[in-house]
Amino acid sequence: MSRNKRDQELKEELEGHIRMAARDRMDRGETPADAEANARRELGNAGLVAEVTRETWGLAGLYRFIRDVRYGARVLRRNPVFAFVAVLTLALGIGATTAIFSVVYGVLLRPLPYDKPEQIVSLREMDAKGNQFSFSDANFADVRAQNRSFQAMAEYRYGVEPVSGGAEAKRVSVAYVSRDYFKVFAVHPIIGRVFSNDEETPNGPPAALVSYSFWQDYLGGSNELSSLKLLVAKQAVTVIGVLPTGFHFPQDTQLWLSSETSTKPTSRTAGGWRVVGRIRDGLTLQQASAELSGVAQRIHRQFPEDNYMANAVAMPLREALTDKARPALLILLEISGLLLLVACANVMNLLLAQATARESELAVRSALGASHGRLVRQFLAESLILCLAGGLAGIAIAYAGVHLLLSLAPQNLPRLEDVGVNLPVLLFAFVVSLALAAALGIFTALRAGSGDVQATITQGSTRLSGAHKNRRTGQAIMAAQVAVTLVLLVGAGLLGRSFLRVLSVDPGFRTEQVVTLDLAFSDDNANGARVALIRQILDRLHAIPGVVEAGATSDLPLGTGGYSDGTFALVNPRQLSPQMLRLIDRGPGDPNRELSKDDYKALDDFFTPLFADKAHSGQANYVVASPGYFRALDIPLKRGRFFTETDTADATPVAVVSEALARQTWPDRDPLGQTVEYGNMDGDLRLLTVVGVVGDVRGTSLEQPPTPIIYVNCLQRPQKTGELSLVIRTAGDPNSTLTTARRAIRELDPSVPVTTNTFTRVFSASLATRRFNLLLVGVFAGTALLLAIAGIYGVLAYSVARRTRELGVRIALGANSSNVLGLVLRQAVITAAVGVIAGGVAAYALTRFMQSMVFGVSTSDPLTYSAVAGLLLLVALLAAYIPARRATRIDPMIALRAE
Amino acid sequence: MAKQDRYRNRIEILQGTLDLLILETLRWGPQHGYGITQAIRINSGDVLDVETGSLYPALHRLEKQRWISSVWKISENNQRVKTYRLTARGRKQLASERSRWDRLLQAMAGILEPGAKENEA
Repeated sequence: MSRNKRDQELKEELEGHIRMAARDRMDRGETPADAEANARRELGNAGLVAEVTRETWGLAGLYRFIRDVRYGARVLRRNPVFAFVAVLTLALGIGATTAIFSVVYGVLLRPLPYDKPEQIVSLREMDAKGNQFSFSDANFADVRAQNRSFQAMAEYRYGVEPVSGGAEAKRVSVAYVSRDYFKVFAVHPIIGRVFSNDEETPNGPPAALVSYSFWQDYLGGSNELSSLKLLVAKQAVTVIGVLPTGFHFPQDTQLWLSSETSTKPTSRTAGGWRVVGRIRDGLTLQQASAELSGVAQRIHRQFPEDNYMANAVAMPLREALTDKARPALLILLEISGLLLLVACANVMNLLLAQATARESELAVRSALGASHGRLVRQFLAESLILCLAGGLAGIAIAYAGVHLLLSLAPQNLPRLEDVGVNLPVLLFAFVVSLALAAALGIFTALRAGSGDVQATITQGSTRLSGAHKNRRTGQAIMAAQVAVTLVLLVGAGLLGRSFLRVLSVDPGFRTEQVVTLDLAFSDDNANGARVALIRQILDRLHAIPGVVEAGATSDLPLGTGGYSDGTFALVNPRQLSPQMLRLIDRGPGDPNRELSKDDYKALDDFFTPLFADKAHSGQANYVVASPGYFRALDIPLKRGRFFTETDTADATPVAVVSEALARQTWPDRDPLGQTVEYGNMDGDLRLLTVVGVVGDVRGTSLEQPPTPIIYVNCLQRPQKTGELSLVIRTAGDPNSTLTTARRAIRELDPSVPVTTNTFTRVFSASLATRRFNLLLVGVFAGTALLLAIAGIYGVLAYSVARRTRELGVRIALGANSSNVLGLVLRQAVITAAVGVIAGGVAAYALTRFMQSMVFGVSTSDPLTYSAVAGLLLLVALLAAYIPARRATRIDPMIALRAE
Repeated sequence: MAKQDRYRNRIEILQGTLDLLILETLRWGPQHGYGITQAIRINSGDVLDVETGSLYPALHRLEKQRWISSVWKISENNQRVKTYRLTARGRKQLASERSRWDRLLQAMAGILEPGAKENEA
C-alpha cells in the first residue's frame, strides 16, 4: 500500500472516529455543533495522533525527514533573499576549498596512473650524514643484483636533445633508461615493442620509444614504425614502439632511449642516475626499505673507498615527485579552510537573525507538540538544504576555479595534468557540505531552543532575554570573523610584502630589451666545429640592425636548469712537478695525449688530497660564457677584463670570477693572476688563470643570495655548451630581433633547434610560484574581507533593528544623534578590536608555518600586522556607519508606539 | 461538577495492558476503533478510558505484528469504517498475555493480601 493512500486512510479512520463519537453525543442530546466540537476535543490533537500512529509504520524517520526537508524548503522559499545570500556565501567558501582541494588531491594524493602505483618507489643513495643524492651506476648495479624485495629496478637520466627527422628540428625531452624501466611502470607499448636484448647492450643498434603525443604530433601518427627514423643528437635512431597516452615519465619525456648502449662510468661517486623500483607483491614499503638499507650498507662495507653511499632510501614515487610542492599546497588548503570559516560565520549570523524572526513560529510549533528534538531535526533539514545548495553552487565555482588555477599555476608544480574536479573531489565537497550542515543546524537549534516558549507566545516576539543572548552570540561571531579575516589578511600581506621585496632585489644584471634564444647542439659538432659555429652565430647576431650586444652562456641566470657546481682547487703552477704539468696540459679528446692508467693514478694521488683540503679548495658554479655575455646582460666589470676573442683554445686558459668568489677565496689578495684547477667540470685539466672580476648575479633564484661563480670562455672551453642560451640586447623591437636571429641561425645550421624567449618571460617564470601563492591568498583574503564587511554590517544592522525601542527611549530621554551614533559605533569598534587582538595572536602563531613562503620580511612583521589591524578596524567602522546612521534617525514616538 | 468527578474516578490504563484490552475486546467480534474505546469504557464501568492518542498507534502496531487485521466496511449509516478483527496469531498472543496477566494478578495479590494466600495453602 502506498504511503499516501495509507495516510489518507488514517485520516479517514480518525474522521470516522470523530463522526461516531459526535453521533453518540447527539444521541445523548447535545446539539450537532457542540457534539462535533466536543468529539474533536476529546480526540485531542488529530495531527499529533496521526503522526504518532504513522511512526508505528516503520521508516518513520525517513518520511519525517522528507517532511522536514519539504517544510524547510518552504521556509527558505518564503525568505528568498536570505536563502540566496546564505547559499552564495556557502558556495564561495565551499567552492574555494574544493578548488584548492582538487589541486591538492591531483598533485599530492591521487595515485599515479600506473598499475599498482603504490609499489613504485624512488630510490636514492644516502651518505653517512644522511644527505640524499642520486645513484652511481656501479652502486645501482650492485643494489639491483643483491636485493630481493624488488621485482624490477631501473635507472634513468633525462635531458633535452635536438631531434630532427619528422617535422622541423626541435628540442625534445629525452630519457635514457636502463633495462627493466618499463617493467617498473608496467607499461606496454600500444604499437611496436620495448627494447630487445640487442638494443640493450653496449654499441647495440640505437632504438627509441616515443610518447603517444610525440607520435601523433611529430611523426604524424604513422602505423608503419619501420619507416620512422629520427636523428637524436645527430645519431640515427629507429622508432620501435609507441607508449600509451599519458605516459610521460620522467617529467615530460617524449623519447626514451636505452642507456645500456653506451658505457657508463664505473666510479662509485659518479652519481646522476635516478632510480625507480617496483616492490615485490606482498611486501610493504617498510620491508623493502629495510632490506634495501641492509644491501646498501653491505655494499658500503665492501667498497668503503671512494663511495659516498653509506645507506639507501626508498620513498613512494608519488611523494618523491611532489615533495617540494607539498608544504605550500597544504598551507593554501588551510587558508581556503579559513575562508570557509568566515563564510560559515556569515551564514551563522544570517541564521541567528532568522531564528529570532522565527521565534513565534517555533513557539507555536512546540506548543502544538513538537518536541525539542523535532525542532533540532527541522533546523538540520533546513541547513542541509542550504549547505547542499551551497555545495552544488560551490562545485560550479570549483570547476571554474580549477580552470583558473591551472592556467595560473606555475609550470614547475608537478602532476598538474592530474588535477581536475573528479569523483573524490566531489565527495570532498559533499562531505564538507554535510559537515557544515550539521554544524549550522546544531548551532541554530541550540540558539533557538533556548528561548522560553510561553514567554514568546504571550509577549509577542521582541525584546526578550533570548534576543539579548542572540545579540551577544552575533557579536562573538563577528569578533571571530574579524579574527579569521585578520589571519588571512596578514598572510596575504606577508606574501605581498615578500613579493615586493623579491621584485626590488637587484639580480645583478639588467633584462630590459634583452631577448634570449635557447639552442641545443649535438655532440658531433663538439669543440673546434662548435666553437666555429658559435662564433659565426654571434657574428651574425651582432650584425642584426638594432642589436647592441650579443652573448652566449651555458646557464642563463634564473633559468630552469640551475647551475652546475663543483669543487675547484687553488693550485699554483709552481707547486706542480714537470710530470704533473705535462699530465694536465691537455684538452679533452686530445688523441695525441691519451692518458695511461698510471697517469690517472698519479693525477688522483696529487689532486685528491688537494680537493679535500678546505683551505685550498672551494665550491663554485661553473658557467660558460662568451665575450659579449657580460655586456649583453649589463653585468659590471669590477676588475681586470672580460673575455676576448683572443682567448682561443691554444691560448692560456682564462677565467672570470664573480665578486662573491673573489671575496671568499682571496679575501686579502689580488684575485687577478691567481690560478685554479677546475677540470672536473669539463675534463679540461689545464689551470685557469683569473683575468677579471665581475659583479654578482642571482643565478638560481632571486630569493637566494648570489652564489660564487667561475666563468670560462665558451670560445676556449666549449665542452659544456650542449645547450647554449643566447642573450641579445637590442635597441629595436625585441620580436623582430628574435625573428631575424632565428632565421640567421637556421641558415647557418638547420639541425640546431631554436627556442625563443624574452627575459621578461624568464623573469616572470622565476616568480611564477610566488605570484601564484600571492594571488590565491590575496583573493581568499579579499573574499574573506568582503564577507566580514557583510557580516559586520549584518550583525549591527540587526542589532540596531532589535534595539529600536531601547534607542528610541534613549532619544526620548534626550540622547542626541552623536550619542546614539557613538553608542553603535563603539559597539562595533569594541567587537572588532576583540577580533583583531584574537586574530593577531592567532596570526602570530600560524604565520610561522609560512616561513618558507615569505622573503625578506619577518612573519611577525609589525608593519603588516598594524596595517591589517588598522584596515580591519576602519572597515568595521565603515560597515557600522550605515546602521549607526539609521539608529540616529529612529523616531522615539514610533519606536515606543510600536509596542 | 459531575463531569470532573467522573474523570477523577478514572484509572490510567497501565502501561502494557492496552494491547491486552484491545485483543480481548476483539475476541467478541470485529470492531472499529471508536467501538473499541466504547467497549473498554462500558465494560470497565466507566473506569477505563482509552486515549485516542494511544489507541490508534496501538491498533496500527498490533496490525503490523499481524495479531489483528483490518478491513474497510460500510456502516449502518452507509459510511466507510475501518474495522479490526483478531487473527489466529492474535488469539495465541491473547492467550499468552492473559496468562501473564493472571500471574501478575496473583503476584500482586500475594503481596497486597498475604493472609489470603496462607489460607489458600
